[in-house]
Amino acid sequence: MANVLRHLPELEGMELGYIQGLMKNMDEDQASLFAQVYRARRKDSQMILILTLLGFFGFAGLHRFILGQVGLGILYILTLGLCFIGTIVDLVNYKSLAYEYNIKVAHETINMLNMTYPGEVNPPSTGTTV
Amino acid sequence: MKEISKWISHFPLELVFWTASILAILLLDPTHDQHLSLCPLSQLGFDWCPGCGLGRAMNLLAHGDFESSWALHPLAPLAYVVISARMWQLIKNLKTTHNYG
Repeated sequence: MANVLRHLPELEGMELGYIQGLMKNMDEDQASLFAQVYRARRKDSQMILILTLLGFFGFAGLHRFILGQVGLGILYILTLGLCFIGTIVDLVNYKSLAYEYNIKVAHETINMLNMTYPGEVNPPSTGTTV
Repeated sequence: MKEISKWISHFPLELVFWTASILAILLLDPTHDQHLSLCPLSQLGFDWCPGCGLGRAMNLLAHGDFESSWALHPLAPLAYVVISARMWQLIKNLKTTHNYG
């Protein structure tokens, strides 16, 4: 069992708990490989917060583009962040937006490592799948 | 205290927000001349922005009035598609990511 804090010390809160759950079945080598790839791909919640704040200066919805929600990004740009209301809601909600994206990326990373190096990183045997 | 903070962190704020906004859109009355506008830009005195009329266009589309909906804002169907896709995603997330561990 690998310790998540040893490999990904920058995680916090719900994301920390979730990634620890994913790392339960990995040994140290698998965990450090997973941590390298995951760190390169995850989005920091502070960046989401800053991009959301840009919405008050006319560039609303950049965070939705960055999180891969292109449709909502277009909607936000055209309506100035749903008349600033959407921007304010996302300002409160930025941590769950980043969390949702990072969980998706973590599962993609595990699947990808399984395909490239079969048998090296095992998906959690007892866990929910996304 | 711990209970409260746990409840807040698990509260599906975004889902509630989208549901409430769709409900508000369906309940508004697009025929008024001086409609109540939440938009801070129109309250500052700007006459036009790229999103002007989108809410009213969505309301008209829900009532089957395609022609005037298109005239107010052509992107109303896109807004419906995008928002309902997002709500579906959020409901799916409730069942998976938020109940882990």
